[in-house]
Parts: sequence; structure tokens; C-alpha cells
Amino acid sequence: MITPRIPHKWGMVVDIDRCTGCQACVIACQAENNIPINTEDRYIQRRAIEWIRIERYWEGVEEAVKTGDPSLVKARFIPVLCQHCENAPCEPVCPVYATYHNNEGMNVQVYNRCIGTRYCANNCPYQVRFFNFFQPVWPESLYNQLNPHVTVRTRGIMEKCTFCIQRLRKVERKEVKEQKRISDAEFDSASGMYGPACVRACPTDTLVFGDLNDPNGRVAKMAKDERGYQMFDRLGTEPNVIYLKKVDLHASESAHE
Amino acid sequence: MELTRRQLLKLSGLGLGGVLYAACTFDLKENNVESPTLIPEDLVNGIDTWYATLCRECGAAEGLIVRVMEGRAKKVEGNPAYPLNAGKHGARCEAGLQALYHPDRLAGPIKRGENARGNGKFEAATWTEGLDAFTGALKQQQSNAASVVIVTGSLRGPSANLVQQFTAGYGARHMVFESVEQTVLGEAIKRVYGDVPLPHFDIANAQYILSFGADFLGSWLNPVAYGRQYGEFRQGANRKRGVLVQVEPRFSTTAASADEWVPVNPGTEGLLALSIAYVIANERLGDANGLTALGGTAALQAYAPGVVATATGASVEKIQRIAHEFAVAKPGLALGGGSAAAHTNGVFNLSAIYALNTLVGNTGKAGGVIMNPRAPAGVEAVAQAAPMAQWQKLVDDMNSGRVQALIVRGADPLYGLPAKLGFEAALAKVPLVVSFSGLMDDTAMFADWVLPEHTGFEDWGADVPLPGPGYQVVGVQQPVVREFFESQRTNDRGTRGFNDVLLTVAEGVGGKIAQAVPWKTNRDLVMDSARKLFALNRGSLKETDFNAFWIKLLANGGWWDQNAKASAPAASAFKLPAQAQNPEFQTSADTPLFLMPFESSLGDGRAAHLPWMQAAPDPVTTATWRTWVEINLGLAREKGIEEGDVVRVTSQFGEIEVLAVPHPAIPRNVVAVPMGGGHRNYGRYAQDRGANVNAILGPATDKDTGAFAWAATKVRIEKIGRRIQLPKMEGTVPLPEQLEHQQAILFTKPKS
Amino acid sequence: MQEPAPRKKVNWMMRAAVALSVVLTVVITLAVVPKILGHYFWSIEQWYRVTPVQPIAFPHPSHVQVDGIDCLFCHRSVATDAMASIPPVQQCMFCHKLVKTDSPEIQKLAKYASDNVPVEWIRVHRVPDHVHFVHEAHITFFTRRDNVAPSQVCATCHGDVGSMQQVKQVRSLRMGDCVDCHRQNNAPTDCAVCHY
Repeated sequence: MITPRIPHKWGMVVDIDRCTGCQACVIACQAENNIPINTEDRYIQRRAIEWIRIERYWEGVEEAVKTGDPSLVKARFIPVLCQHCENAPCEPVCPVYATYHNNEGMNVQVYNRCIGTRYCANNCPYQVRFFNFFQPVWPESLYNQLNPHVTVRTRGIMEKCTFCIQRLRKVERKEVKEQKRISDAEFDSASGMYGPACVRACPTDTLVFGDLNDPNGRVAKMAKDERGYQMFDRLGTEPNVIYLKKVDLHASESAHE
Repeated sequence: MELTRRQLLKLSGLGLGGVLYAACTFDLKENNVESPTLIPEDLVNGIDTWYATLCRECGAAEGLIVRVMEGRAKKVEGNPAYPLNAGKHGARCEAGLQALYHPDRLAGPIKRGENARGNGKFEAATWTEGLDAFTGALKQQQSNAASVVIVTGSLRGPSANLVQQFTAGYGARHMVFESVEQTVLGEAIKRVYGDVPLPHFDIANAQYILSFGADFLGSWLNPVAYGRQYGEFRQGANRKRGVLVQVEPRFSTTAASADEWVPVNPGTEGLLALSIAYVIANERLGDANGLTALGGTAALQAYAPGVVATATGASVEKIQRIAHEFAVAKPGLALGGGSAAAHTNGVFNLSAIYALNTLVGNTGKAGGVIMNPRAPAGVEAVAQAAPMAQWQKLVDDMNSGRVQALIVRGADPLYGLPAKLGFEAALAKVPLVVSFSGLMDDTAMFADWVLPEHTGFEDWGADVPLPGPGYQVVGVQQPVVREFFESQRTNDRGTRGFNDVLLTVAEGVGGKIAQAVPWKTNRDLVMDSARKLFALNRGSLKETDFNAFWIKLLANGGWWDQNAKASAPAASAFKLPAQAQNPEFQTSADTPLFLMPFESSLGDGRAAHLPWMQAAPDPVTTATWRTWVEINLGLAREKGIEEGDVVRVTSQFGEIEVLAVPHPAIPRNVVAVPMGGGHRNYGRYAQDRGANVNAILGPATDKDTGAFAWAATKVRIEKIGRRIQLPKMEGTVPLPEQLEHQQAILFTKPKS
Repeated sequence: MQEPAPRKKVNWMMRAAVALSVVLTVVITLAVVPKILGHYFWSIEQWYRVTPVQPIAFPHPSHVQVDGIDCLFCHRSVATDAMASIPPVQQCMFCHKLVKTDSPEIQKLAKYASDNVPVEWIRVHRVPDHVHFVHEAHITFFTRRDNVAPSQVCATCHGDVGSMQQVKQVRSLRMGDCVDCHRQNNAPTDCAVCHY
């Protein structure tokens, strides 16, 4: 008997109240996805590639300078990655259909179609698409570390977070083989091997990954949390990444500079 | 040859054709598939296998699983079964892969030969030569064995056992080098709780955490395990959200995540803790028995908030409020370490801080301080870090010719000791310096022999994480891949494990030393420890047959027994000090600013050779690759200092040039410089990059333990007129505010 | 009308250069044009594609047809992972320690084994780096659909390798070929099924 593939809708929940900005996700992503080394020059040229990055926002800076009390300052961390929008602004602008939305809720970048117009990066409000301005090179011995399940992107094409699709493909193959849905629990950091690299690394469980179509799954439940919101929801992009609001003892509902 | 236009066109057409043709082909080598010669025991070509091992990048000994494909390690993840990090891992564990495949790893022993010491010129040599030189020197010094000094990084378990027995059998001196030592923490714990291993801090179940200087989310002890607990502490199911207050002069990662950050004057953390104790004691908020044990209210009279407020820089109201919140929120947990320990009054500070736990009676309770049991027999050996006072003595001994041979392994004292100590000059007086560094580090530059050792992914080992999770845990490290330079073995080169080398040398020297270390190989040594665990017949692994036990031990990545907990500590005789100890600073007339060195993503400098770690943005400043100095934003504006201005930081011991980062969250009287930059060598990613903050630190020590007081130096800063753009993540992409969207982060109040 | 100036005498280097350019142009045309055409028409590619000569002339027929060895005996991971895998030399030597030790090809093999040097086989079937072909998924599908053993499935793409003295590619294995087959079998044709 042949079982049809189980329809998934992959999604992530990011609880920013847990995030400490430790960068474990950033490095895990670079290790898994063959991202070229972000050398000093790349940062200075603002061409560093980080599929997931931790943004840090300051609060109360001018007040602290005025009063001379630095403890008035707050730092806020938020991990930002491709939001895999249901209504993605990057998709309609691609002249060659190199980026599109697939039936698993993912925004896909097809490297071999991409011609590098960079329209998509221009149109992305989250700034999570990266253009390869340079041919990626590593010193000879470091090639040994590259992941054979991920394409090394050449110069001249766009790349971005894939939700570690190479791992998801493995899940789906296992589902077909075993003819059953792999539960969200297996994406849970401790028991499964399938979650995206950043989720697997995150020490504080800020990042949780799973199938939004599985009503009993952890992610589907967490996405309904009263703290849940979508980044820049005013833009109507309908991301599949749900953030959970930061809890602050003092700040009012909307206080943010 | 003259060219007509037509010929030029023809020739260029030709060239173009050649280029096109070349571009249509690919490297033919890519079209080859190699079939291995031998069938690996358990590896089928093309399938990825995961092996459990330990992380050797920092001292925390986290359990890892490593994905291996076709003999190459591809990815590191946390070992889900391992109790400490439970499937999670930090950035540094991940970067262990880059240590394994580092392009500048030494492919075999090198010797200084006739070259001048320290000029960086070496000749290739073989292991036979290297081992002969090493063995010969040991034989020669046998009558004067104390002149042989072995310096290692922190060691626990079988490795510590081996080195200790080796040095005892031979009569050599063994010193453990840690740039950021935990000597003060150990001493404070000893005073407050008696002679116990470092306890487990139950962050996950605490309601209120009062942390003094301990950057437990960034660099303190085991940030990954603490991070895992922190997630629970914030948003764990079925619990109220915990409150974190960080008391620290610098805005560390932990301070950035805290609900409240209390910037105090450096070195007054203990004073503040005692003042909090005063409020708790006087208002009878805490545990009455605890208060009596600590000497009652009488001892605290000198620490009324009104008295200490000016010295600490925290207001009376703030002290009182924190004291109330801490005592009322049960359980409250007080942590201390990091810069609070790195003062001349470090033990005073930390013992006052940990006494707060006794005061609220959280010892041994969920959400409090939980004692750790001693490690089981067979892996119980621990080599304690040598405090700064001993390094001073070593330098004196080296200068006076009392050190004939210096063996350095897993440590870079030339880089990590304050330059003022004069280690570099003293090194020139030692006739034989042997380094085991796999990469040319600063100390190896001055060595006569560099005998490169395996990385953690190529060697055997076992370790007892310190601090443990409240019960007995032993982690086991196995080679997950074959040694990278295996092909060099035929030339008698390649890398070897340090323990294996010690065993070979012991056999070569013979006599007492060979009897002291009865093992053949490092694997035997680890198996020997495993046999003792097997004999316990309890915990996570019980087998009737040792072979089955050994295989499962390696597969699980270790052994643990959740029932093997420590009993409550005996009543300690610790009394709160009636007399405050004030910090002393290494200062001269014109050095108004406190210098706070801190561990960035490069740790104490040991991770500086890893490009991922160099490129990992510092969480708060998002700076990468360079060494910077954090200066109060208001102060920087007054002085006309902008980001990227090269600033000279001068102490009475020296000066370094670093990039300025005007920082809104640092007090006006403090500047902070990350450790880890300024290596003279250590591979292409670290060499001559940034500045080494150790160059300007004074050799001040803690009064009670002699530990290095690395936060006790004062400096001045001045702009020197040059500018270098700071490589940082912030600004790599435009901020959403600039794009006229809306806020990225939304807030809510905690559920009442 | 003015008489044209006498042409400057072309020296021998010029002549050589021109001759060389003519020769090279011909060679390049012959080499490049079929390559470009072959890119679009599999039949043309077949015409110029050379079946590679392997370092050891391994005869599939005598192993498969004569000895009846199953494909999976050597290509062990084909039903469990992405790559089919090439057997290690040691596995060959289990038999060839005793079998046909006098053959020069087996002596070559024995030398690889004794020198501990890997054999560098030349790939016959190769998809570009941005394509992730997974053997396991295809084997699972076809074995279930047709209710056959995994080794019965290989021929779908690889042809009857068992009868090839020298292995050669029999299908184009270009994207069109893949997509055609995916459509026929109702398999997903989402780009991200193979390209990631």
C-alpha cells in the first residue's frame, strides 16, 4: 500500500521571554547550512550572512544619559529568521519564480532558478534574505565539515532560512516508510533528531518547532497562547513564525521606543 | 611582435573560447568516488551516524552527540540523554568542529632546533625524536625531579588521576592553569557549606534569583545547563514566572536578561549582600535558624543600608526593596561569582553572598542551593587550579634556574597570565619547554618542542561535570572520528593523545614512574575507570557483563545515578564578618576608571582560533572579530569618542589600543574590555587580532586564597585619533524602525 | 587609384599563431557544440558521452548474472539512505582472497587492499550539487507499489546493470526526466522536494 504524504504546515514559536541572546542558534545554523565564514570584512561591508540572527534593541537610552543612571537602560533580544509568510512579499516580485510558497507552509528558495535580481531581498520587511556577493570559500581542511545534505550556494544567488528542510525531508521519508505521522513530541529537543538546527541548539527552549496542522502538537497549542503575536502583523504577511510577547514587570502594554 | 587589429581580435577570440571551454567543465576529481579500504565496524557509506562524547571546548563538560558521515564529523548537538545539558548545546560546543578541521593545525611534531627561541621558526620532526627528547630530559632530571613542572588546563577524572600519579611517581610539580579561576568560589563555598564540591544551583525552581557578578547565562561555570534552567525559570509550565536581579558593575548577558540590573561599585558586592542580610535579619523576614547559625543580628550592625548605600552605589530604598523581595519570594536564590570574586576581597564578597542562601533557608531545597555528592570512585580525582600566588612563585623559580623543564598542555599561560608577571622573560631561562598544543599558541611559540595532541573528538576520556546536577554524573568521551592526520602516521608524524604520550614516556623512563602509571594506553585508563563504575552496579546502567556495560556507556555518553545525592552539609561554623573588607585597586594618580575584563564569545581566549566564535556577535554590543572597550555613552559624548575610534587604555602596567563602543548601559566610572583578543599566534583567525587585556592587568590577588583578582585594575582612556570601523552585526540589516514598520518586540505584563 | 602599400611581411610567429588559432577553433567547435546541444537533447549527449574506464575493470555480469549476488549485497545503504554507496575494498577481498587470485584485475584490487589505498572509482551517474536525490525514498515507493524486492527496482533508472560489462548511463536523469516520472507516479513535483 502506498500512503500519500501527510500534509504538514511547518511553523515555529519563538518565546522571546526566554531568549538570552546567547548566539547558540546562530552558530548551529551556520554549522548545519554551510554558511560561509562571516569574516571581519563581511561585517564591515554589511554583507554578513546569518539566516537566524539575534537582534538587540535598547530602551531608555536617552533617559539614562540625561540622568546618569545606566540602570534605566534595558536590552531586549529577539531572534529573527525567515518568517515563512503565508502571504510573502518576496514571492510575487521574483521574475523567475525562484521563490514561492509550497504546500507545507514554507517559503522556498530554489537556488538553481535564482538569477540574483535581489528584488525579493528588497521587498522583505524582515530583512532575512541574503545575497551571495562572494563565492563561498573555506580553507581546504574546513571543507571536511560541510554538510553534504545542503547545497553550497554559489556567488550571485539569494539564500535564506529553509527551516532545515533537509531534516524535514528525513521526517517525511520516515513517515512514508512507517506510515504514521511523526508527532510534534519528536521535534521536541530532547527526543527527536529532526528539528531545525537552531531549535535543537537553543538552551532556553526559546525556539519550538513543529506542525501547525497537528492540533494536539506543541506548536499548534503554543501558537494560540495569549502572548502570541506575528511580527509586523500590520503588513498582513501572515508569518508561520509566531512570537510570544516579552514579559516585563514594569513596562506598559505598548512601551517600546 | 607587432599586432594588427585583426590579429588582436583573433587572438582575443581564441582566449575567450578557451575560457568558455574551461568554464564548461568541472574539476574531474569531483567525479571520483572513493571506496574505503576497510569496512568500519559500524559505518555504512552514505549514512550519518551519531556518536556520544563530551565537549572539550570549555570546562563545563557537556554531553554531545556528533554526526559523522564517511569518517568526517559534520555537526555537533547536545546529547539528549545527558543530564546536564539534556540535548542542548552552546555555540562553543558547535565550534569544536572547527578546532578539529582547523587549517593551521600542526600535522606533526616540530622542534626549535637551532632557531632562536620565540622567533616562530621551527623544523619538522618525528614523534620518535620528540619522545626521545622528552624522555631523555626526564631521565636526566630524575635526581632533580622537582625542577620539572607540568602545566595543564583544568583536569578531572582519569586524566587528572594519570597526571597526578605521573607527577607523584616522578616527583615533578603539577600546576593547573585557568585564566578565569574558580578558586575563590571554591573557598567561599567551603566556608559557608563546609568541604563540599561546588553545589547545584536550582535555577529552574527558584522564584527570585539575586545574582552578584555571576554571568551564568553568558560565561559562568556552565551557561548551557543554566540557560536550560533559565527557560524553565521564566516560562516553565505550572509555575509563576521567576524574577532575576543582577548585581554587577558591567551590563553582562545575564544583566541584559534580568528584570532589574543593579550596577554597584566594583568590589562592593559583598557589602551589598551584607546590607541585604541586615534588612532581612532586622525585619525577621528570613529563616530564624539560619540567622542564628550565621551569628545573629549583632554581626550585621555595621551594614545598615544607610551606611553602605554610598559605598556600593545602590540607594537605601533599592537595598530594602530587594531584600524584601528576595526574602518573601520563596524560594529565593543568591549566586555570586565572576567579577564579584575577582577582587582583593573576593572571598569576603562571595561568602557574604552565599550566606544569604542560609539566611533564607534554601539549602538543600528545590529552588535553592543543592549539594552535590562526591564523584564515584575511579573518577574522583580533581586537579585544582593554582592561584596566582603560585604562578608568581613559578616565575621566580624559572628566573633563578630552578625549573629545568616546563611541560605545557591545554593551557596558554604566556597569553593568559598578566604580562606584568614576567612569564615571557622567565621562559627564556628554562632549558627545555615542551608544548602539547595542537595549534601554535603563544606559549608554543617559545617552546623547544611542540608535540601536537589530538582534539577532543579524536581522543578518549571521562569527566565529572563540575558543578553536577545534584547527583552523580560521569561523562565519557570517545573518539568520534579517526584522527585527522592519520595518514601522517606512516611518516611518524601526525597527532597523539596527551595521555598516551605520558604513558609512553613513563614506560621509557622506567622505574618508579612506570609503576605509578600501570596503564598501556589512554583507552585502558578510561576503561579502568569504567570498570569501577560497572562494579557499582547502580544508576543509569546496570549490566552483568563489562563489555555490554562499556558499549552502552559509550552509546549513552556517560553514567549517572539520580539517587546518588549528597546528604545535607554538616552545620558550618561560618559567621558573618562584623568587619567589612574593602577592595583594593591597582591604581596610580591618573587612572580614574575601573577596568572590567569579561569573557566574551572567545571565553578566556581559548576559543579565539575558531572563526565561528570570532564571528559570533557579542550579545549586547553585537561586536565581532575585534577587541573593544565599552565606555559610558554620556562620558563618550563628553570626550568626543565615537564608535570605532581607536582608544588607548592605559593602566600603570601597560597600555592597549582597542576600538571604542559607547555603551548606554555601563556606569560612568567603569570601562569593560573583552578577554580573548591579541594572540601573537594561535592560527590565522586569532593571530595579531585585537588586543590582550591581560597586558594591562596588575597581578593583584585575593587576600585569602591568592587567586588572581582580574577586576582590580584601574585605567584611563584616551582617543588617539585613528578610526577603524567596528565589525558588528547591528546595522548589517536596517532596523524595522528605520523602515517605518512597527515594533519587532511586543510586551505584556506578567500574569498576576 | 593609388597602389596599395606592399603588405608587411608576416613573420613565422604570426603564421604559427594563426595556424594554432585555426586548429583550436576547430577543436573547440567540435568539443563545445555537442556539449551545448547535448544539454538539450539527450540523444546527442549519448553520442559524445564516453563511458568511463574504471581503475579496476569490474564486471557486473559475472557477479550479478553468474553468481547471482543481490545489488544490496554491495550497495548496502541503498534502501536506507540517500546514497547507494560503493563497497569497501575489504568486502571485495572477503571472496577475492581465494577467488580468481591470478587475474590481473584482482591483483590490482589486492594491491589496493594491501597498500590501504582507496580505489578512486569514476562516477557514472551524477546529479548536480543542488539536487538531492534520495535512493531510499524511491526504493520504498517502488517496492511497495509493485510488491517486489528492492533490487528489482534499480533497473528503473539504471538499466540492466547486471548485463553491462562497463556501466553506462541509460537515462538522461535531467530534470525533465525526473519530473516526467514524478508526474506519472503522482509523486510531488514541488521544487523543494529535490532542490534545497
